[in-house]
Amino acid sequence: MRVKAKLYPKEAARLLREQPGVREAVTGATLHFEANRKRAYQEIDAEAWRERARRVKDHLLTHLDHYLELAEKRLQEKGVQVHWAEDPEEAHRILREIVARHGVKRAVKAKSMLTEELGVNPLLESLGVEVYETDLGEYLIQLLGEPPSHIVGPAIHLALSDIQRLFHQRFGTPLDASPEALAAVARKVLREAFLTADLGISGANFLVAETGTLALMENEGNIRLSTSLPRVHVAFVGIEKLLPRFADLALFLPLTARAATGQRLSTYVSLIQGPAKEGEEGPQEVHVVLVDHGRTALLHDPEAWEVLRCLRCGACLNACPVYRQTGGHPYGYVYSGPIGAVLDPGLLGLEDTYPLPYASTLCGACYEACPVKIPIPKLLLAWRNRAVERGLAPTWEKGAMQAFAKVMQSPSLYRLLSKALRGFPLPQDLLPLLKAWTEGRGPLQPSPKPFHQLWQELKE
Amino acid sequence: MDAKSRILSRIRHALKDRPKALLPEHPHPAFSQDTMELFLKRLAENGAEGHLVDKEGARKLLADLAQGLPGAAYGKGVPDALRLLPELPPEEAPLGVSRALFAVAETGTVALSSEDGRRTQLLPPVHLVLVEEKRVYPSLLEAFLDLKSLPSAIGLHSGPSKSADIGQVMVKGVHGPGRLVVAVLQGTW
Repeated sequence: MRVKAKLYPKEAARLLREQPGVREAVTGATLHFEANRKRAYQEIDAEAWRERARRVKDHLLTHLDHYLELAEKRLQEKGVQVHWAEDPEEAHRILREIVARHGVKRAVKAKSMLTEELGVNPLLESLGVEVYETDLGEYLIQLLGEPPSHIVGPAIHLALSDIQRLFHQRFGTPLDASPEALAAVARKVLREAFLTADLGISGANFLVAETGTLALMENEGNIRLSTSLPRVHVAFVGIEKLLPRFADLALFLPLTARAATGQRLSTYVSLIQGPAKEGEEGPQEVHVVLVDHGRTALLHDPEAWEVLRCLRCGACLNACPVYRQTGGHPYGYVYSGPIGAVLDPGLLGLEDTYPLPYASTLCGACYEACPVKIPIPKLLLAWRNRAVERGLAPTWEKGAMQAFAKVMQSPSLYRLLSKALRGFPLPQDLLPLLKAWTEGRGPLQPSPKPFHQLWQELKE
Repeated sequence: MDAKSRILSRIRHALKDRPKALLPEHPHPAFSQDTMELFLKRLAENGAEGHLVDKEGARKLLADLAQGLPGAAYGKGVPDALRLLPELPPEEAPLGVSRALFAVAETGTVALSSEDGRRTQLLPPVHLVLVEEKRVYPSLLEAFLDLKSLPSAIGLHSGPSKSADIGQVMVKGVHGPGRLVVAVLQGTW
């Protein structure tokens, strides 16, 4: 996938100007998800669940080589074919071979962020394979030719009217068709695809090393169909997605569901142990592709590796006041919102993603929501420090910050300067940083009396 | 070197100086609420229907569901006594009947084995699941710790198929069954 993260500030501003409906749709959807998550956390001892999940994931990551080899062994014992891919090119080669060997003409896909990273759809299309995204939201954006804008709800930036217009053009449904009627049209198209596809492609929420179990979570049933009906199933799994023991799923499945959508468990969970046995329905072949694509580099990074605990639940996006303004598209890569701001620089390098760690108010809501306690604000600061060190941040920023620190540390200097600002306000139209502020708001007006003095008067 | 050795060697290098984190024990499973009461409550909250029935009650429930239908698709484990309608392929059947591996009260879930048949569990618009009373576990952890062997696939179903992807409006029966009915069977069968 082409990375456009460098354009973040420009794209965010453009979207806010040109498509104000996106802000409304995204804010509505994320506030809804966030309220559900809070309610679901209150029902359990969330602190204890999160801490336990963090510890399991840290154990897994600090023994990752052991668990990857164990997972491979268990998968192979169950008749699953295991492949390893360092980068998208290797993943493509593996998939190309499978497509050629089975003469695949049609594929059904279950939503997976890793396959977005790898560019699986463009590859399949170039091979002449017809690809159907089968998650309803993902199907909508596939019709529109857009990337997902949210890790869990890929189409939350679309309003009902957008979808009504899309289906009117594509399928001739009335412009005021109900969501039920639109879903029925999609169901019909996709049901036909499920029944005729040769290949089912998925990601995985978890891969259990102890049993070689692929775990997939969803609400629609499309993942169970994609992994049950076609004769070949290929699952792309990031190497950090492992869990040590089967029973760990009893913690991670409900915790992920609560964090993502506020459910006690997602409607459907598929626990897959291998291809169909003799006389059984299901795929004849199951392939697991273990993908690195930047993950080992992140594991190596002492200041950034904790981000690999991520379960891709999207809770931090829903909690983020910055994400809510634009949705995920301006972030310019697969992962958006707070997790994208610390994961994308780790996967792709800071040079190509420099603005993302700044796309945050550092309010800490993302950390409070995270089911595995990833210290996102701390990681944002680590990436910002590096941006300054590597000269990616503008040079005036460093100077301005140093001057600011000096003033804030010296009470006499602070008083002198604030007095001066009250007497001679800054030329607000001339300074670029202030201009950006005043464009959408009234001019900055200093209080006639210093806070210090107001506080004294209040006490008297 | 192949991709596998390169990835593993990079991981070992990355972990060389990192302190190893300990794996916490599973919490001791303890659920005080009445399991059956909780299971039926959670099923209802998930938008599914739950019934606690004896053999005769199960037949009656099935007869009610089957009214006016030409046939049904059956899972392999469904007893003959409960195959009231002519058998249809799952692609055409208006009703699917399955026998669950187990159920979980905590989450209002039925667990279905691929050995019972996957199409019947997914393709018909209405899905009736039979589960023995003694196979209803209080929690997911207890159910998982008790599993002796794993079939090629397990499906955990907790309510009807649903999506809010179209304008944040909840729609049922998007891909899978829009109606899930669970019959908890008392006694042995």
